[in-house]
Amino acid sequence: MIRLSSLMPKAFLMGIVELVDMVGPEKTDRWILSIGKKLGEREGPGIEGARENSINYMPICPFANELIEFVEISGERPPQFMDIIKHTNKMREESGRGWEFPAISNIFCILHNSYRKQRAEMAGSKMLHLGCRSPLTKTIVYNDKAIEKAGMSRDDVDKVLEKSVCVFKIEDPKE
Amino acid sequence: MNQIEALKLYENSVKILKNNQHENGGFYASPPGTRYPFIYPRDHSIDILGAIAGGLMDEAKKGLDFMLHAQKPSGEFSQRYDVDGNDASYKDLQIDGNGLVIFALGKYFEATGGSFFEEMADKEFVLKHWDTIEKAVEFILINKNEEVDLIHTVNSIHEYPAYEHGFEIYANSACCAGIFAAVKMGHAIDKDVSKWESEADTIKNAILTRMYSPRRRSFIKCIRVKDKSSNPIGYDAFASAVIDVDAVEYSPAYFGLINEHDVKNLATVKRIHEQLWDKEIGGLNRYPELWGRNNGGYGPWCHFTCQLANHYITVDNQDMAEMYLGWVVDMAHNYLLPEHISTIERFEMWLEDYSNAKILRDSKLTMIENTRNHPKWKDGLAYVTIPLIWPHAEYMRAYVNYMDKFQSQ
Repeated sequence: MIRLSSLMPKAFLMGIVELVDMVGPEKTDRWILSIGKKLGEREGPGIEGARENSINYMPICPFANELIEFVEISGERPPQFMDIIKHTNKMREESGRGWEFPAISNIFCILHNSYRKQRAEMAGSKMLHLGCRSPLTKTIVYNDKAIEKAGMSRDDVDKVLEKSVCVFKIEDPKE
Repeated sequence: MNQIEALKLYENSVKILKNNQHENGGFYASPPGTRYPFIYPRDHSIDILGAIAGGLMDEAKKGLDFMLHAQKPSGEFSQRYDVDGNDASYKDLQIDGNGLVIFALGKYFEATGGSFFEEMADKEFVLKHWDTIEKAVEFILINKNEEVDLIHTVNSIHEYPAYEHGFEIYANSACCAGIFAAVKMGHAIDKDVSKWESEADTIKNAILTRMYSPRRRSFIKCIRVKDKSSNPIGYDAFASAVIDVDAVEYSPAYFGLINEHDVKNLATVKRIHEQLWDKEIGGLNRYPELWGRNNGGYGPWCHFTCQLANHYITVDNQDMAEMYLGWVVDMAHNYLLPEHISTIERFEMWLEDYSNAKILRDSKLTMIENTRNHPKWKDGLAYVTIPLIWPHAEYMRAYVNYMDKFQSQ
């Protein structure tokens, strides 16, 4: 049930669905990236989450509740979300710098990656998104190009995912 | 109180403070390799106050310089930072950090001036950071609810939203005192701070009226309100009051908003002592056990015990001052102070509660192992997170005041 006080996150998700129908997944993807970047600029330099040396992780997905509730209300994952995810995955595979893209388990990963990347860059670091677990299906997805650049393996990522839902490597460009 | 041991603890506290300041200026919450190797504005600000009490003015200035440069574009000071001053938080807003940083800066400014304030006070430093001070104050004020004139926060000193989400006493006292400090610094460097002065007076009045219960004769912990702009707040989803005792109900006097001798403060401290002094192992608990968030087992906290020691010192109650400060001295292990102390029984009770409820985080496993491996475990005590820097800073403040008050007589 949608209550007025919790309308806004659902409005954002519904906005994504509507925008994909209106302008397609490419432009919607750019819109989401732009939002994440601008919010990151406003928040300033930083790397949120738990940290063990150069590994950064999120113990819980900050967007999971909203996403699950939205999907439960909709009855299914809107296909428009998958359109954007497929578009981003294709760009990552075709790019020579695929490590810069997120590993996407849900639509919020695109927003989160853009926001987090911006804040990390302002802090003088780069973040590689190595993998994450879907809050909906529990499926694990990886960014193999990022994992390779980090000099790690999927097993390494799995170990961190045993206590988290989202794993990053902090790369200092000075190193 | 064992005076020799008290002095040794003071001397080691000075060393601890110096050794746990990163070269960039941040005071670690606990040494690198232990539980909290980050810089938390809340702990860091008290460390600065400890440094000032111990005459470590260079360290205090360096610490302030670090933190003031770490301010977020919005004017907020985050929950925690890495050693380079980058936001590394994982919690929602903790606005007491804003108040604490400006409050600590104000204390540094006062201390540099001393008896020759006009000539000696470090006005250059305040001028250098004036834009940051302005943003910090304005950030506090945008979180003020216009209906009740109190500052809204999600977390406060216990990082426990269930009891702190809303208008909380520590956060409001810290923020109000921070604005008063900014006003004082502003006057000293000829800035127009009349608006802030008026705002601080308004907030102070709201704390002293809306957050004081005449029938209980105590300040109260929190007016729970979910959204800062709820108006009227009576219709807010959380609308309720937390009237349980909490050690930080002493905050209005701790931050100098009221006199230590004020009857409101004396009555509040009496209630805190009666309900939170640990009957089994001594020392001051932070809140009632039944709040059910007793990481590492319910038990007394060294820095809250030092805070009330300071109160008793100020009101000339030497017996109580020695009972409180002496407990801290007695419980130090190799002149190191833990975050808090529990018993094995309570520790295991907490572990059972959290394990059964499946709310035991992986990050607590190291703490559990360290606690069980600590030599005090064999004495039946759980020493949780040792050393923590914050209690050493609070101890330094209390010890210096104790010596000034009672040893000079």
